[in-house]
Amino acid sequence: MLIELQQVTKIYNQGRANEVKALDEVSLAIAPGSMVCLRGASGSGKSTLLAIIGCIFPPTSGKAAIGGKPLSRLPDRFLTIHRRQFIGFIFQQFNVLPELSVLDNVTLPLLPLGVPPRERRERGLRLLEQLAISHRKSFAANQISGGELQRVAIARALVNDPPIILADEPTAHLDTRLSKEFMKIMAGLKAAGKTIVITSHDPLVTEHAAVERIVDIRDGRIHVS
Amino acid sequence: MRPSTILFIVLLLLLGAESGLAFHGAYLRAEQRAQEPELDIVTAGLGLSDLCVATEARYTRNPAASDRVVPFMDHPGAVEHFPTGSFWAPPPYMRF
Amino acid sequence: MLRSSLERQLNILDYALSSLWRRRLKSLSIMLVFAAVIFLLASFQMVTTSLSQAAGRALARAPEITVQRMVAGRQETIPLAYLDKLSAIFGIRKVVPRIWGYHFDASNGANYTVMGLDPAVMPLGESLNLTLAEGRFFTDSEKGKAVVGQAIPASMGLADRRTFSLFRPDLTLKPFTITGVFAPGTELLTHDLIVTTLADARDLFAIPPDRVTDFCVYVANPAEIQTIARKIADRLPDTRVLTRPQIQKTYQVVFGWRSGFGSICLLTALAAFAILAWDKASGLSPEERREIGILKVLGWETADVLAVRFWEGLLISALAFGVGCLLAWIHVVYFGAALFRPVMVGWSVIYPPLALVPNLALADFLLIFAFTVMPYLAVTVIPAWRAATVPPDSAIR
Repeated sequence: MLIELQQVTKIYNQGRANEVKALDEVSLAIAPGSMVCLRGASGSGKSTLLAIIGCIFPPTSGKAAIGGKPLSRLPDRFLTIHRRQFIGFIFQQFNVLPELSVLDNVTLPLLPLGVPPRERRERGLRLLEQLAISHRKSFAANQISGGELQRVAIARALVNDPPIILADEPTAHLDTRLSKEFMKIMAGLKAAGKTIVITSHDPLVTEHAAVERIVDIRDGRIHVS
Repeated sequence: MRPSTILFIVLLLLLGAESGLAFHGAYLRAEQRAQEPELDIVTAGLGLSDLCVATEARYTRNPAASDRVVPFMDHPGAVEHFPTGSFWAPPPYMRF
Repeated sequence: MLRSSLERQLNILDYALSSLWRRRLKSLSIMLVFAAVIFLLASFQMVTTSLSQAAGRALARAPEITVQRMVAGRQETIPLAYLDKLSAIFGIRKVVPRIWGYHFDASNGANYTVMGLDPAVMPLGESLNLTLAEGRFFTDSEKGKAVVGQAIPASMGLADRRTFSLFRPDLTLKPFTITGVFAPGTELLTHDLIVTTLADARDLFAIPPDRVTDFCVYVANPAEIQTIARKIADRLPDTRVLTRPQIQKTYQVVFGWRSGFGSICLLTALAAFAILAWDKASGLSPEERREIGILKVLGWETADVLAVRFWEGLLISALAFGVGCLLAWIHVVYFGAALFRPVMVGWSVIYPPLALVPNLALADFLLIFAFTVMPYLAVTVIPAWRAATVPPDSAIR
């Protein structure tokens, strides 16, 4: 399994008055090349689950292994290195840096890897071309439309060539046409062998043909439907 | 061109300007050094004990003549600190 | 491995540069304010260094001991009779009586320094003609002759005339003929000088024939200056005995005091700047927080984010340091420290030229560096640590 979680619990602010148990003994396994949708209301714990899969923080207890490496004991620095290698993130609001150009935004993950500028540019341009927005490469990110922004976010998630793509409510701010387009791109990536995990409660996502499995999350637990 | 290349060019220009000034400074210093024998003769030959950097205080040209008991000081404990007592010349209407 | 980590630092440097460039107005103004502070500090350092170097150099050959007479706490003329008492002291090689004082020229408000002595008996006195741009030194038997500094003919408006007159205390005129003018190269010492014979100086100031203003005392062995000074003070209790080391020390202290005075004023400016920089660096705006969160999710390590901040701080302060020192040098060397002249040397009617070329050592720059760049880096990078430890999940919430 590419992603393997066993009885993962995550408690925020542990031991303090505002302690919150976001995940409660969740177990989940995801095979390479599959597309999984995490569905749940806001506050259900699906974003926390995504963050653990994304190596953003280790679980409070339980076992999480991404790409065969257990996260629980890894210090922050190694989590980062691990994340760099395995994960591409697409955020709800795309989280691009508004003043940077489209190309610079896309190649941002390559900077700490020591990729020289020419190669950075080539890799970024190739992805922008694949996503049909290379004509916007020198525009500042705050000057382009929402649909273009979404492609920039996808290109950025892909620039490291990670095996896993994680998307957090990617269609929440998109209209129907753009949402469909987004899922089409995701389906294409899946076909190319990427493993994709999306959190969403948008039917356009959950009912898409490429989604193999829907995991319902409520109050930090997985509900089998 | 990547930004760091531009930075290196800027730093190089700065370094160039600075070494240019350093060279000119070395030249000026050599020029000054060439005058040192003359200055030696003047100080020794006339028994001078002071630089001529300002001319308006009783001891300007001779700090040897200033001491703690010079009259008309700010107060008895104040060592007068500026050769001419003040930063700027008094305005014309305050002069005699 | 080495190559890739170099490439990675370059990438991070690129990112820091582009983020400085994005905020170019802000970065530039911080840089310029910082450069101005460094400029002021460096100028002070350079003026002090060059003035004390010039003073130390010039004073190295000043008279070893100067003897003046004090009456009621003020300097008075000293009787020539003391000469015999001085000469009797063992170890004294030579005693030269001289008259020296200031002459206020009421017509143009300038002060001249008048020096009356017989140059022939002074050390190196025979070479004094070498220091003249024109003419020659008078001999002691000549009457009404003077050798003057560059400022005198100009200040009196003599043009090509070679005679001038000064008022005696009773307002009668004392005429002088210029026999020589000091070379411009000696201006640092001779600019306002009128050198004449002892007899003419006595005549000008109306000093009684048995009196002079002070004695220059030369000793046989310079190591014994202090001992001999003490002997003189014992034998002539109404005199003040000044030694060359004392005068040298006074000079260093005076310039050190002045530069310290200025530096303290500047340190407040520096402190204000540091507070400003601290405020700017420690307050993390939501945009910055978000940016750091995004970078961390995208695989930037805490060290990388910190490196961006470090590069930004280093670039601003290093550039400010370079520019500030450059301008300070230009200010001091080519403009005679025009901005600080009033603070360092006060004002003058006759403006003596100030040709300052500080002989700077690495230590001088390190001092300025330690007082400016170090605190700036400290106040900007340390709070950046807090910024860099923003958890990456702040970007996805």
